[in-house]
Amino acid sequence: MDNKKDIRLMKGNEAIAEAAIRCGVDGYFGYPITPQSEVMETLMLLKPWETTGMVVLQAESEIASINMVYGGAGCGKKVMTSSSSPGISLMQEGLTYLAGAELPCVVVNVVRGGPGLGTIQPAQSDYFQSVKGGGHGDYKLIVLAPASVQEMADFVELAFDLAFKYRNPALILSDGMIGQMMEKVELKPYRKRWTNEEIKQMHPWATMGKPAERERNIITSVELDPNAFERFNHKLQDKYRKMQEEEVRCEQFNCEDAEYLLVAYGSSARICQKAMELARAKGIKVGLLRPITLFPFPTREIQALLGHVKGILSVELSEGQMVEDVRLTVEGKVKVEHFGRVGGVVHSPEEVVEALERKIIGG
Amino acid sequence: MVDMVSCKGCSLCVEACPTQVIGLADEVNAKGYNYAYMVNPEACTGCSNCAMVCPDSCITVYRMKVAEPA
Repeated sequence: MDNKKDIRLMKGNEAIAEAAIRCGVDGYFGYPITPQSEVMETLMLLKPWETTGMVVLQAESEIASINMVYGGAGCGKKVMTSSSSPGISLMQEGLTYLAGAELPCVVVNVVRGGPGLGTIQPAQSDYFQSVKGGGHGDYKLIVLAPASVQEMADFVELAFDLAFKYRNPALILSDGMIGQMMEKVELKPYRKRWTNEEIKQMHPWATMGKPAERERNIITSVELDPNAFERFNHKLQDKYRKMQEEEVRCEQFNCEDAEYLLVAYGSSARICQKAMELARAKGIKVGLLRPITLFPFPTREIQALLGHVKGILSVELSEGQMVEDVRLTVEGKVKVEHFGRVGGVVHSPEEVVEALERKIIGG
Repeated sequence: MVDMVSCKGCSLCVEACPTQVIGLADEVNAKGYNYAYMVNPEACTGCSNCAMVCPDSCITVYRMKVAEPA
């Protein structure tokens, strides 16, 4: 059984739930919202509290969910929540507190079309909210963008690893397409949850009860001395710089000889793969760069391609958000334009090729 | 027949149908999706393309038994 692969056909949201149980998550706190509801539905169906001891709780709201995560994270537990755009907006206060208290947790955003309550179809219009912090204060989330159901499963563990490594909340920025899509997934074997003793050893900051030999651990984001808080802010920025140095992940397709570059993440990257094939069949040398981490953004990787790339099209299911980071990266050296359908409408590969020809090659 | 409760309105069946039988309803299901339904049932050839492409197995195709010609 051990060396047999566990392969299933499942939805992206279901993969999140399966992966959470298998990587030894201690608690999930959530509130239903389409197109994300299958995460908690699957957890409730699998009843992990009977097997691994993982807590699954439907909170009374998204605000309650993120504050339960705050509590669990303070105890050094692996805790997570998931929601879709309007619910993630409600969680922003909790997220900035978690970042301010330097606590690890994982949040999954299965993005739907906004602003407001919006639609329930896929969109990528929460890019700014995800990579620029989202709540108040100078903080960042580690943002991972899965482009397949397999990555939905794999990124749960990766997000927890990074969150605990940096003591910072990590966000899996998915969307209604990846969340609802059915694909083949290879699931990882079950890992045991950490025992309290292991947590005390690995995370000495966790509030697991005060022994006589040390001072009490305090989880807080408040500081009354501005000078001390400036030093704390510098410490956070050092952490973000280290992430930028060491944690960038991206995938490149046909970039070696590319004259034109598509930059796209998540479901848009899937569409751009087809668009790239269509354009190559027409004789246009197109490459695709897919950022896997949106913060830290693959700045160096894009800059390295500027020797032979003549123009870049940022393809997103938004009115142009990531394109700003691409422009900051490129520093005006080549033309950068944006293309994307919005509000829950998804672009076709043909539309992407047409936009590339119109905005970059012809423009 | 479409299981309108689990349909997520992905439109794969609409594209797969060779005789344009299927469309998305104006109404939404409990999850809020415009579910698939037979707009033009007479044109159905019973080919089951729709059932095969449906990622959530929402579609079942039945063929009516037609009386043998005498």
